[in-house]
Amino acid sequence: MAKYSAITLDRELCKSCGRCIASCNKHAIAIGSETNQRSGMIPYEIDYELCNHCGLCMTACPEPWAITEGGYDLENPAARIRPAKPAAIQVRRIPLPDLEPLVLKGNHASAVGALLAGCRHVFGYPITPSTEGAEYLARVLPSLEGVFMQSCSEVATVNHMYGAGGAGVPTMTFTSSPGFTLMLEGISYMIGAELPGVFINVMRPGPGLGYIGPEQSDIKLCARGLGHGNTHAIVLAPSSPQEMLDLTMLAFELSFKYRNPVVVAADGYLGQITGRVTLPAEMVEPGLPDWAVRGDAEHKNNLNSSILQDWVELEKHNEHISGKYRAMERDEQLSSEFHTDDAELLIVACNIPARMAKAAVEALRREGHKVGLFQPLTIWPFPIDALAKLLERVDHILVVEASDGQLEDEMRLALNKADIAGIRFDHLRHMGGILPDDAEIVRTTHSIMGVPA
Amino acid sequence: MSHTALFEHFDRHAGGVDLKGGSTHYCPGCGHGLAHKYIGEAIVDLGIEDRTVMVSPVGCAVFLFYYFNTANTQAAHGRAPAVALGHKLAHPESIVISYQGDGDLASIGLAEIIHAAQLGLPISVIFINNTIYGMTGGQMAPTTLMGQPSTTAPQGRTAMQGQPMKVAEMIAGLDGVVYVERTALFDQRNRKKTQKAIKKAIRLQMEGRGFSLVEVLSECPVHWKMTPEESEEHVKNTVAEAFPLGVVKDEEREPWIAPLAPKFDAESMVSALGATDEKPPRFCNEFPSHLDPVDISIKFAGAGGDGAQTAAILLTQAAINEGFDATDIPSYGPESRGGTSYADVHVAKDEVLSPAAPTPHVLLAFNAPSLEKFASSVAENGIVIYDSSVISAPPDFPAGVKVYGVPCGDVAVKLGNKVVKNIVALGALQEATQLLADESILTVLRSVLKPKPELIEINEKAYAEGVRHVREGSPSLV
Repeated sequence: MAKYSAITLDRELCKSCGRCIASCNKHAIAIGSETNQRSGMIPYEIDYELCNHCGLCMTACPEPWAITEGGYDLENPAARIRPAKPAAIQVRRIPLPDLEPLVLKGNHASAVGALLAGCRHVFGYPITPSTEGAEYLARVLPSLEGVFMQSCSEVATVNHMYGAGGAGVPTMTFTSSPGFTLMLEGISYMIGAELPGVFINVMRPGPGLGYIGPEQSDIKLCARGLGHGNTHAIVLAPSSPQEMLDLTMLAFELSFKYRNPVVVAADGYLGQITGRVTLPAEMVEPGLPDWAVRGDAEHKNNLNSSILQDWVELEKHNEHISGKYRAMERDEQLSSEFHTDDAELLIVACNIPARMAKAAVEALRREGHKVGLFQPLTIWPFPIDALAKLLERVDHILVVEASDGQLEDEMRLALNKADIAGIRFDHLRHMGGILPDDAEIVRTTHSIMGVPA
Repeated sequence: MSHTALFEHFDRHAGGVDLKGGSTHYCPGCGHGLAHKYIGEAIVDLGIEDRTVMVSPVGCAVFLFYYFNTANTQAAHGRAPAVALGHKLAHPESIVISYQGDGDLASIGLAEIIHAAQLGLPISVIFINNTIYGMTGGQMAPTTLMGQPSTTAPQGRTAMQGQPMKVAEMIAGLDGVVYVERTALFDQRNRKKTQKAIKKAIRLQMEGRGFSLVEVLSECPVHWKMTPEESEEHVKNTVAEAFPLGVVKDEEREPWIAPLAPKFDAESMVSALGATDEKPPRFCNEFPSHLDPVDISIKFAGAGGDGAQTAAILLTQAAINEGFDATDIPSYGPESRGGTSYADVHVAKDEVLSPAAPTPHVLLAFNAPSLEKFASSVAENGIVIYDSSVISAPPDFPAGVKVYGVPCGDVAVKLGNKVVKNIVALGALQEATQLLADESILTVLRSVLKPKPELIEINEKAYAEGVRHVREGSPSLV
């Protein structure tokens, strides 16, 4: 059965396992007598007097190129031509008509933002108080021929996103604190493999099961603990349904810009609050990045992976990732200010507590107190540049937050890195679902400013 | 050269330098290389070199992408099927092959593989069962045979470590699965069967029929502490006894998956969002500053099922249609019916700041406990409306508060549907507060009821009854 013209056993690639010997009906293969100097193995040898070129040994050999028809040449990889990258298809911005504002729940507003940002691939696992986002998309996506898939767990969710995001499409999920914790492994992989994806984390109190109210419980996790390794992601902090929409759209843009996950850290209150939402002038038709891994001829050379065997290469990869973090820190700080121009006390707050703080600032201003609000819209990177400018004039900060100092820690770290000292800090904190309300912020402000009750 | 979708030179294997450019990282006698070869040949035979996405696991095959001249993605431990589904859904034209070992698939990744199989989306899973953890150095796997020694069960697996897991049989029991076969590599006949099975599993995906899995019993001479030859004998005589070879499931199924063409045109989007460029009619001339100059807060309080949430959202929508800013924040008890159900609404001239209503201008209470709870929080000169059909003895209120008892529940029952008591209450609220205009609320109500036009009449009547009760009754001024 001479199927092949010349069966060649490569003496350098043979690992001497002997599978070929057992496969050969002609007993034409035997162990050799010399150790190969390059492989350290004692390769087998074919006796061509006996070989009938049937090729069974080729099917039996686990090494792809150790037994071949006609032999195998090791080549210098540096001399080989690398395949060209495909051309990236650019994002298209499509004008929308002048639409009336919608009345939307925060979670729904974020879902609408995702649709407008071109997201048609959504994965999720139900968890209060985030689930309305997934429900909304499950209802609406079929009419846009998109996909909502309910995963078997948050662990599966983030890995669906790794796959879909890895195929170059905008993808997202809605989750809440305990679910987000389960996604951290996958987020680390996405960061390592440089894949985009948007996580709407509608934070709720912990630790453990906690409960379903609002808390800024994951600021530390989002800013400092996104899974193992050298990980960061831009963390956006909306404070209204409008910002839920706007910042979700921005999250997709940033996620593709940096090939990195982006977290929208909302809170339980914000997810549930209904309000007026103005739609943008444009929506997005996603492009297709040149790095996308998908089954077509153009993209077949692409690889998504976070493993690098060579320590030097792995350090280089981490330096590259850190370079992206530095760019995010430089270019993506976002904050908003309210009555800061002449403020003598700055209230720092984000998410829903920022709304309460805004109401408190209004009330305090009516009383003639020079109080302003500094609201970080990115928690990471912390908007230190804008804050530093204000602190040239102000030296007193009241941090209002629904956590035990997680926002204050982020801010203090940023201040420390910026060499800003001599600031007096006060704080008002709640947890468990209790929010600092405007009256309490006013009372606290009175007390720290020495205003008699 | 034989035809294969494997790279001719493994440039990703330590840069392809020296022998690494031509040989795999697998130990002598390992079965992974054979499985790789058979997949590589099947891909070419089926003509899908330019359509395939290979998903690498964690385990010995973590470096699968060194060898496959296809698109590649490397997944977290156990998550390859979840990653594969992401690829399949993002680009259904891709032929997605998930490759996993027994620790990866049968231990840490059990949830992912079971749910992928039950879901049944057409992907192909090649599952290498060598009854041990190879990459980490010979620990016990879910598939480790009874009595088989491993570094984490050095005396051999006993009942204390449970029985070996029969993956092929388990997967075959799931509905989304069209094809499962267990094969081996220890002799020519079984290698041929493995080749055929792998090709079939991929073909079924190309035809869009469903999920398929091939379990390949493979040798691990190094961690079995056997020669390659002894390993082949071991699979033949022992492993294949515990894990019987052959087709476990092969079901005829019509192709069922339709490719998607996501829409990105403005028209589809506007329709999907239910958005409109039509300005809603406005009925208010100015902000109701008689209640507050800039920001009015209203608390709706009742039990689940009272309709407090619906009333709150209708009022919010109506206020926004009038060009004001408005917010609504619900707070439920743990039960969706019968527990407490509160909602805070704000209507502001320009912008709602704090959306909570700790001292509401207006309180609408549907039951006694709610009224009890919030009565004292009502703002100075505020307004309270309560359902007098269930509250006979209202509590004390702060001075200056106007209180209206309206038999919302009774009126609704009389109208023939107790569910509309919240609309009675809404009519009463509007009449008592003059917050917006009747038509502001009725317009929203009609628009919400568009899908159920038969309910419009009773709702309008309910609203009118609420208005009438406030108009004809006189508030009890505190």
